[in-house]
Amino acid sequence: MHRAARTATVAIALATAFGITACGSSGGEGVAADAKQTLTVWAMGAEGEKLGDVAKEYTKANPNVNVKVTPVGWDVAHQKLVSAAAAGTLPDIAQMGGTYMGEFAEIGALEPVDTKVFDEKDFFPASWEQGVVDGEVYGVPWYVDTRVLYYRTDLAKEAGIDKAPATWSELRSAAEAYQDKAGTKWGLNIQPSGLDTVQSFYPFLYSSGGEIIDKDGKAVIDSPAAVKAFEEYGTYFDKGLAKKSVQPGYDVTKDFNKGDVPMFFSGPWIMTLLNDQYPDLAGKWAVAKVPAGEKSVSMAGGSSLVISKDSDNKAAAKEFITYLTDTKGQEDWFKRTSDLPAATAAWESGPLAEDPNLQVFREQMETAKNSPPLPQWSEITSKVDSAVEAVTQGKESAEDAAKKAQSEVEGLVK
Amino acid sequence: MSTTTGPAASDAAKTAPGPGGKPGPRGPSTTRKDGGRGKPRLGVQNLAGWLFSTPFLVLFTVFMAFPILATLLMSFTDFGLRNVTNPLDAEFIGFENYTKLFSDEKFLKSLFNTGYFVVVGVPLTIGLGLLVAVLLNNGIDRARTFFRVGFYAPVVTSIVAVAVVWRFVLDPADGLVAGLASEVGLTAPDFLGDEKLAMPSLILMAVWRNMGTVMVLFIAGLQAIPTEVREAAKLDGAGPWHEFRRITLPLLRPTMLYATVITTIGYLNVFEEPFVMTQGGPSDSTLTVSLNMYREGFNFFHMGYASAMAYVLFVVIMGITVLQLRLLKDNTK
Repeated sequence: MHRAARTATVAIALATAFGITACGSSGGEGVAADAKQTLTVWAMGAEGEKLGDVAKEYTKANPNVNVKVTPVGWDVAHQKLVSAAAAGTLPDIAQMGGTYMGEFAEIGALEPVDTKVFDEKDFFPASWEQGVVDGEVYGVPWYVDTRVLYYRTDLAKEAGIDKAPATWSELRSAAEAYQDKAGTKWGLNIQPSGLDTVQSFYPFLYSSGGEIIDKDGKAVIDSPAAVKAFEEYGTYFDKGLAKKSVQPGYDVTKDFNKGDVPMFFSGPWIMTLLNDQYPDLAGKWAVAKVPAGEKSVSMAGGSSLVISKDSDNKAAAKEFITYLTDTKGQEDWFKRTSDLPAATAAWESGPLAEDPNLQVFREQMETAKNSPPLPQWSEITSKVDSAVEAVTQGKESAEDAAKKAQSEVEGLVK
Repeated sequence: MSTTTGPAASDAAKTAPGPGGKPGPRGPSTTRKDGGRGKPRLGVQNLAGWLFSTPFLVLFTVFMAFPILATLLMSFTDFGLRNVTNPLDAEFIGFENYTKLFSDEKFLKSLFNTGYFVVVGVPLTIGLGLLVAVLLNNGIDRARTFFRVGFYAPVVTSIVAVAVVWRFVLDPADGLVAGLASEVGLTAPDFLGDEKLAMPSLILMAVWRNMGTVMVLFIAGLQAIPTEVREAAKLDGAGPWHEFRRITLPLLRPTMLYATVITTIGYLNVFEEPFVMTQGGPSDSTLTVSLNMYREGFNFFHMGYASAMAYVLFVVIMGITVLQLRLLKDNTK
């Protein structure tokens, strides 16, 4: 009773403070797909820059629909989207990573995907699941990203390594051989500490069969498999195979080119980057699937396209998303950006079917694992970041670090 | 708070004559405070005044007063991500955020780190700023402008550019310091990657960045000292050191007070340096209160909790500022 009154006072002040005007101002059916309208789209980073060209072509073919793309930097994307959601000014279509999906679905800012138009079977399983929150689909997969092992083949020869490491023990002995016989400064580059260290840790965690949160939503970061992953990860630092401190903004490709770092895990964009920035390095490197602990499982990432709940142009938005995610659109997008198609059909011809490096990504993608779409995911991973740091800096044993992380994550998922 | 008891009354008696009784710039202001401020009248003669201040008042209300009030209210609620679109659902939880803060290891650590930054950083900034100002004012005659600009340049340089330069300087692998060290056969430490060195490195960088502001203040202060006073001291046989201690320093006191207060406030809010250089690491050794607040608020969306943090920081800053004003002012006698 008392509390209700107080809550109301606070709430009114907050509501005004946030400039909330009735969010559901749209209502009704909205504008027909082919009526004259402007479709607003937000895309991040490099995608934001390049999507503008696609939009222009689309508008040429569909003169009534004027697609307006706003590029948003990744560093401000999250805040910008949240404040737009708060003010009810989200664009008709937004690019969204898997980790955002949970939050925005939770605050009810997203329109469920029409599964009659977009079929689960057409996409990689992990990238489809990325858009699923509590059984409802909110995002259409646009492009995928997974991490694989990049390694120097020329130095491998010097080190007497004749094939890509396929297991944890092969990976470790490769790192040692690189260092001892090929004279590289380090054996493998994995992030020791700092924000999002977890990204570097996923290939180990998933490959040993571990997880942070299991299917039932329970924290399981202290499972024996996860502890084994922590141990293995830490070993590289104990033995001086990996650098113990890395500054924010560290560019691994520079040291890869120099030969200081012969191996690292990263995503598909690195291929483009290596080809563009270090053309002399061509033919001296290759990619391989994540070395297996129990099996070879990497993380899945990438982006989906979502439609805002408040959009008046949902019909046209749906058509534009169809244009971007059908086979032709996906092939075209790959040509422009080297982003890997989320639609499996797009992989059946051209360089995507022929390039052996791209095939590695494709194979890795089949089993890749995505993060659960929990609204508090970034907070959960920050706990794992700290645990990894404690292990790599030799402050805590793998077991203690895992236990501590477990109790903290439990507190977050309840 | 009873004013009838002995000690309290004598306290009041001691402090009262201070500002009022002393001649000089502070005298008139106190009398005006008592006399001048009647009820503001909204007459025609005041209309122009109101008209001219309206833009400021509107902007101030919208962008300062309102957010400040909203933050205060929010700090008593569990405002989180789900309340972004439904602020009405935020629940009033009283002082829970505040009590939680003081058992939050991370917050206490960030409080300690901020204190460390201030305690080491402020004296260094003030000291070096003063030194450079005195040197520029007395020593170098020719390239004075060049040096002034040189020392002030870091102040107006974007933090991102600064970060790039400093990362190069401090990089343990192929940075400037590492290079110089290896020339003479030493190994440079990993400045930003070492828990003990990360904070001192950031302080060094902040001192370099903020010294210029303090220097400009001191130069202005130094130039306001009448030459007659110095000459008189010289005639009385004061050497340079004596002159500095007995004449310059006391006359610089108001500048010193101002510089110390603004530098302290700035350092208590320190955010940019750890944000661009270390992101709070390694092992939270450079996590400051502001950075912690930013993370809680914008990464995890614990708006209520972050607001409480903001108010704790506010109280700390106010307390320290009041203390400084007291301590440094009372010494002027």
